[in-house]
Amino acid sequence: MWRKSADAKLSSQPSETPSMSRFGHGTTAPSSLQTQATSQPVSQTPPQSAQTAPVVPATAAQTTSRESIPSGASQIGAGLKIRGEISGKSDLNVDGEAQGKIRLAEARVTVGSTGRVQADIEAREIVINGTVEGNLKGVESVRLGSSSRVQGSVVTPRLAIDDGARLRGSVETIRTSEPRGSSAKATTETVNSDVMHPVHAHVESE
Amino acid sequence: MNWMTKTRPAAPGVTRAPKPGPLTAASPSANIRISNGLKEFLWQLSDTPNCRVLDLGPVWQSTVAFFVDKGYRVTTEDVLRTWTDFQTTEEERRRTCSPEDESERISQTVFGEKFLAGALQYPEHRFHGVLAWDLLDYFDAEVVPLVMERIFSILHPGGALLALFHSRSAERFHRYRVADSQSVELLASPTIAVHARVFRNREILDLFGKFRSSKTFVGRDQVREALFLK
Repeated sequence: MWRKSADAKLSSQPSETPSMSRFGHGTTAPSSLQTQATSQPVSQTPPQSAQTAPVVPATAAQTTSRESIPSGASQIGAGLKIRGEISGKSDLNVDGEAQGKIRLAEARVTVGSTGRVQADIEAREIVINGTVEGNLKGVESVRLGSSSRVQGSVVTPRLAIDDGARLRGSVETIRTSEPRGSSAKATTETVNSDVMHPVHAHVESE
Repeated sequence: MNWMTKTRPAAPGVTRAPKPGPLTAASPSANIRISNGLKEFLWQLSDTPNCRVLDLGPVWQSTVAFFVDKGYRVTTEDVLRTWTDFQTTEEERRRTCSPEDESERISQTVFGEKFLAGALQYPEHRFHGVLAWDLLDYFDAEVVPLVMERIFSILHPGGALLALFHSRSAERFHRYRVADSQSVELLASPTIAVHARVFRNREILDLFGKFRSSKTFVGRDQVREALFLK
């Protein structure tokens, strides 16, 4: 169950709070959520047809991370800093900074290469290319990209680690009653970081 | 569990100990080496319930998947990377501190203690197995005993530590990952640390004096694999 406070409706009022307009599509932000002034303008994600002319100047890395995001994903852009708990059903892309807690159990969270997160992340699917200090709980999968820097534990049934990723933390596995088919066998096969390896896992905090 | 009393199941007609050292002609890849140390390490852990393993190298999918498939809990901490990052940060800080601030000029031992205040922070007896690879070859002489002391404390009684020691200065900087139950893969990597020293056998024994027993395997490439039991 996701709690939606009255203040959280802030996210659904883009016209009144343009700086928060990137929270939408079901993502809620708590009353404690704060934004800090940034050197870059923040604007609403343009419609699909206008995406050839980005409103916010994007670095190559940002562009790369955005390319993998499904349309309709909420976004914490580079230069933005958010504190508090983020919850909801929308996919989320973090290219800025986030502190607190991110709980999007039915959605995908992507931390771009410029993203810095100091928070536990719980999501259906987690993709990390930036820096995270916190525990990751991926309901379906977790991918640590080659530029990822993670300090914390990883809990997920499927884990992919690209070469170059840095993880300081633990992965603890639990075998489930799921029949061992081809996917389970993949854990022992030669690494192919493009393939999600099933790792029935839960993690202890250090 | 008493490791010393652990017995191997006999395998009639099967030669148990393959020749140590890197694979050559029969090797599918030149950077795969047979590791009797790893084989022994895994055997020591084989009956341990709720086994926890600490890999002190970089995180690799193959290593994690290997241990996960065995039902082990894996923790990774790239201590050498942490060490070099720490050194860089400290050097930068020293450069910027005022010359009259003598308190900033600390000994290597204190330097090591400061490093360990932010590294290898685990509860006592946490792990049943530690893969140290050739980590100790890259630390300053004053820091090595401190690191060893910390590793000893986080190792469970009866736990196993696998370490590699070069017999001569390492020509290339390698990282290691588990290929299978008796071989490791050496990955030539950009040098992040300079090979600091070559340990003599006596020095190794002194360094690991607190451990209950040790076994050493010397490969054809003159890399010594040492397994220590706490």
